[in-house]
Amino acid sequence: MSRKQSFPVDPATGKPIRGLEQPGYYPGYSTLGQRKRWDETTRGVVVKRAYSTGEVRFFSAEEAALLEAVVERLVPQDDREEERTIPILPVIDERLFKNELNGFRYEDMPPDSEAYHLGLKAIEEMSQKRFKMQFTALPILSQELLLKSPHDGKPDPDNPAWKRMPVHRFWALMMDDCVTAYYSHPWAWDEIGFGGPAYPRAYMRLENGLPEPWEKDESRYEWKAPSDSVSEIDMKNAPPEHSSLHGHGGTH
Amino acid sequence: MAWFLDGKKDRAHRLGPMQTLPGPMRKFTPTETVDYCIVGVGSAGGVLLQRLARAGFNVVGLEAGPFWDTERDWVSDEKGSHELYWNDLRITGGTHPLALGSNNSGKGVGGGSVHWAAFTPRLHPSDFRIYSEDGVGADWPMYYQDLKPYYELLEREIPVAGPAWFPWGDPHGHPYGPHPLGGVGDVLVKGCTKLGIRTVAGGPVGILSASHGDRPHCIYRGFCLQGCKVGAKASTLITHVPDAITHGAEIRSLSMATRISLRKDGRVDGVLYIDRDGKECFQRARAVIVAGYAIETPRLLLNSACPGFERGLANSSGTVGKYLMAQAGNVVAGRFDGLIRLYKAPPAHALSEEFYETDKSRDFARGFAIQTVGPLPIAFAKQMVAAMGAWGWGLRRVMMDYNHWATLGVLGEILPWKDNSVELAEEKDQYGLRVAKVTFNLHDNDKKLIEFAKNKVMDVMRAAGAEQVVQESRFAHLVGAARMGSNPATSVVDKFGRAHDIPNLFVCDGSILPTQGSANPGLTIQALAARTADYLIKHGEEIFTTSNRDQSEPGIRYDLSPPYTWFKGNPHIG
Repeated sequence: MSRKQSFPVDPATGKPIRGLEQPGYYPGYSTLGQRKRWDETTRGVVVKRAYSTGEVRFFSAEEAALLEAVVERLVPQDDREEERTIPILPVIDERLFKNELNGFRYEDMPPDSEAYHLGLKAIEEMSQKRFKMQFTALPILSQELLLKSPHDGKPDPDNPAWKRMPVHRFWALMMDDCVTAYYSHPWAWDEIGFGGPAYPRAYMRLENGLPEPWEKDESRYEWKAPSDSVSEIDMKNAPPEHSSLHGHGGTH
Repeated sequence: MAWFLDGKKDRAHRLGPMQTLPGPMRKFTPTETVDYCIVGVGSAGGVLLQRLARAGFNVVGLEAGPFWDTERDWVSDEKGSHELYWNDLRITGGTHPLALGSNNSGKGVGGGSVHWAAFTPRLHPSDFRIYSEDGVGADWPMYYQDLKPYYELLEREIPVAGPAWFPWGDPHGHPYGPHPLGGVGDVLVKGCTKLGIRTVAGGPVGILSASHGDRPHCIYRGFCLQGCKVGAKASTLITHVPDAITHGAEIRSLSMATRISLRKDGRVDGVLYIDRDGKECFQRARAVIVAGYAIETPRLLLNSACPGFERGLANSSGTVGKYLMAQAGNVVAGRFDGLIRLYKAPPAHALSEEFYETDKSRDFARGFAIQTVGPLPIAFAKQMVAAMGAWGWGLRRVMMDYNHWATLGVLGEILPWKDNSVELAEEKDQYGLRVAKVTFNLHDNDKKLIEFAKNKVMDVMRAAGAEQVVQESRFAHLVGAARMGSNPATSVVDKFGRAHDIPNLFVCDGSILPTQGSANPGLTIQALAARTADYLIKHGEEIFTTSNRDQSEPGIRYDLSPPYTWFKGNPHIG
């Protein structure tokens, strides 16, 4: 089925922002363009990731279509050019297919693979119950309203799956996997202005946020989320903070 | 001459861009009885192996993970560094379940010191006496002064870079000069200064600010937690393991200890393990040291239950697996109008210990430190998901501002509680061993401390000029669960790590800490390992043949350090 899209908007012109080769505020910046300066092992890993398409082996075709539609709302990429879309579903599928663990499981959670089967089934049932339609067929606003309810920790309608696993943990599990896939991709590094690998070459300019010679200065543009989206950050109504919802690696 | 692991002759086994694994590594025959079998070659195991080998003992280290070749195996990449962690299944629960894996558990030679941020503060003198002074937690069976010479020695061996004057606890200086400040360090110094809070910058951190033998200095690429390919950040893989191998230690990587074997006379005689080919093996040893860290150490002892020790080996006290600790590790993130670029410079490079000690004007005992942290994009995105409920376009938007954010960490002391524990779950791992079940609950003092610390660090962030400040609750580090003490009824080991129940069984790693302070535990673990090594070396054959339990300090050995330690000093200019 065709991909549902809705585009962020330039508030000055009211025009949709779409077909961007590189969203974000660092136009012309390319981490992959620096690959010759990286060590061989890192180059191998990152380049392989950048150009791998991946196949779906863990999820059934129905599950994959559903999760694809969910992931497009969890990390929307409608502003990106089609061929510059960062693959997320295949990365989740590969982890579950290979049963790659992250070193622990919450005592109130089933194994990750089972959690995905359960959670996806629940999302589809919630869609059927609330909108009398398949999730994949819903308009984007309905999809987002449906997903916002587990995000808020208040699944609407409730579903037996959330008795078997806390809804906030399932939400965190999906977000964990989605951000890992998206922000491990060098195109996402270009989008956010992250320097990427820097060995053996060093960073020179540590203070004041100054760019290295191969980095770019920031060049911001204004954008509004699509009018049929409810996923902008809303601190006033943010879900309760549950500590230890994810792996916490990479901090201290 | 470089030695070639796995018989591959094409290239040397690299430990950083300049250092290669010395060799050939000694190989003991399968039937040989060694003096010491050490389970786990991490922060403590690496130091113990090196000391004992230098002193002439026959010593074998069993390491569950790989023997890293830093050029071939490590990458400057967050996702690609997954294999550095203990990823095998563990169950986590309680009112405040701990995240494990990449958060706090290493696997492979070097252990957690491969992925630590390498902050190396010492414990304060008060940390050893918190029960006497505040009526909470436990006293150590030793004093700060007993450990001080080992802190100084390890600071030279690592060596630690930092200010020439560190004003808190027992004030001291550091052998190598401080690192230049990154954007996050600037924020910490600026915010604290506005509020009248003292800071130090550029360390103390186990990262080279000048080259050291065959290790280059830091290049500020920010991937400290992904394994330092530069070789600037200290891990025992590059600081102590090469010297251990030079002096005849053997390390068997990809070898998972399954059970410690107890003889009828109440002494242990070796370790059963599964080798890299999946074969069950037995390493005979005259003494065993467990150095598997705060989860695998109690798990191995519990899985080694046998007649006479039905509740777990060396567990007559019932305290194996009890009093597990993690530190409060809340991350406070602030968005600034200008650019920060927090990915540059080591995540660990500035801190304040102004709130470390008990302050009677507050409603809780003990305190916390404020430290820089430097999450790379994936880790930062997860923090935004947790702290702000970010998803969808909101997530994309906040991440486009990644370079505008700075992050500071709370490092808060959580007290030792008996109900925070490591037990055995019913589920089994790939070796058929019962996996660890970790339970963690916050108690009243902990909750009050965290609330105060979190708000204080948020104040610092605002004072530094952040226009938006958010925070995420989390925990850092793991210690305890096989604690030392002078009373055999309430602790597992004595002050040298010797099991109260079994004279030739030792535990030496983070699990023996009775309390944890607000200091990152790495330096303390290595200092304790060097002291235990001195004790073992001093008592020589007695350890293997008698039950004598001399509790006097062994006296520090300055002749057992790795190369390049000589001619370095601990400055003291205050």
